[in-house]
Amino acid sequence: MALFEARGVHKRFGHQVVLENIDLSFESGRLSGIMGPNGAGKTTCFNVLTGRYKPDRGRVLFDGEDITGLSPNAIACRGIARSFQTISLFDEYSALENVLIALPEVRERGFNMIEPLSGDGADADRAAAVLARVGLAGRERRRAGDLAYGERRALEIGVALAAAPRLLFLDEPTSGLGVEATARLSEMVRELKHDYSIVVIEHDMQFLFGLADAISVIHWGQVIARGTPDELRENKWVQRSNLGRP
Amino acid sequence: MAAPILDIRGLVKSYTQGLLHRRETFRLEADLSFPTSAIVGVMGPNGSGKTTLFELITGSNMPSAGTVRVLGRDIHNVKYTERDRLAIHYHQSYQVRRFRRTRPSFLMQPAGLDYPVVHLFDEPQFNTQDGYIGFMLDFFRRLRSEGRLVLVCLHPNEPYHVELMEEVCERFVFVLAGRVREYPDFRSLVEAADVRAYLGRLVPNGGAR
Repeated sequence: MALFEARGVHKRFGHQVVLENIDLSFESGRLSGIMGPNGAGKTTCFNVLTGRYKPDRGRVLFDGEDITGLSPNAIACRGIARSFQTISLFDEYSALENVLIALPEVRERGFNMIEPLSGDGADADRAAAVLARVGLAGRERRRAGDLAYGERRALEIGVALAAAPRLLFLDEPTSGLGVEATARLSEMVRELKHDYSIVVIEHDMQFLFGLADAISVIHWGQVIARGTPDELRENKWVQRSNLGRP
Repeated sequence: MAAPILDIRGLVKSYTQGLLHRRETFRLEADLSFPTSAIVGVMGPNGSGKTTLFELITGSNMPSAGTVRVLGRDIHNVKYTERDRLAIHYHQSYQVRRFRRTRPSFLMQPAGLDYPVVHLFDEPQFNTQDGYIGFMLDFFRRLRSEGRLVLVCLHPNEPYHVELMEEVCERFVFVLAGRVREYPDFRSLVEAADVRAYLGRLVPNGGAR
């Protein structure tokens, strides 16, 4: 059984159909890609899958449970974490504190934004371990706002990982990154694949083709193609494109 | 016999200017019938009436005369919010879709379908760099194999635009200054003098036979 499934998801904004009959299936332990041109409906799709919008029709299932229409919070509590296309961090806080705040044990205890978070102890060790996973070892004390753009993207993924999710959604992680930073991010995500089930939305096909086990192509709010990178690469027009070149 | 998927009869859209002396500024006329599933290429210069034709087919623009029937239903007599369950217009990204509502919906028919049977793609962004063309063409073929009618409109400005239309489309419609003409295949399309003049350097070698 798939870890996560969308069946016949349909969403309208006013007169505009933005998602039409979306069927998706993400397997446990895999990296699933969703790609499509700008304006294809990728982020709307993510927002429906993660509970920000309620679909007009269709069902969303996580580990067999129907989570259609649950709040983003209720969905997060079931073990789904997501990053955003636009970075959302606490810039005044250190990298370590950003992850600390997201640790479930810290959240349960409660914290306030005025007193400094404890920078030592078991929590800090766990947060530091998360930072190391996203390539930010040595940057623990740096203010999030002072990190380089690529590091901020990595930190955002770290914040999502802090909750030890069973499924991690990444929305356009390469957005705004240059070639080198994209290559570093790609390496980092490749490492995360060993321990997490991941879904990545991307318009950068090259990035997804190098990482994903399976890809769904979304355009006009619909899944227009799906397959493994090798299967999709067989297409004559894909071979003629930059993507087809080694 | 089953009703055609799309049947356009005596369709006229006339735009006029002036209050006292009405002068026609644009006139579109079409008679077309697509009895079964197909992928149809619609070509013509900008401003020739391609998008207007699509709007008339999807019921977002009222015709001056004539009818558009999808599976036998007059689309202009289907509830506004359900018209895209019969025929859906995938707009160019910068276009804003606006329905002119002239009658209350309760007087009109339901669409009777969940997923549209006629799909109109208005100038899809085809570029050869990213490979999406291949997925789009396969999607058109999938819709066709499911018994649907696909209309793809394109104003070609690169040789591969003509190439992909030849590859995926089996019938063609050429729109020029509001006149709508149909061609049963690619060869007859590119043999027509005005189509050749329109395509210019883009006419493929095959058309020169």
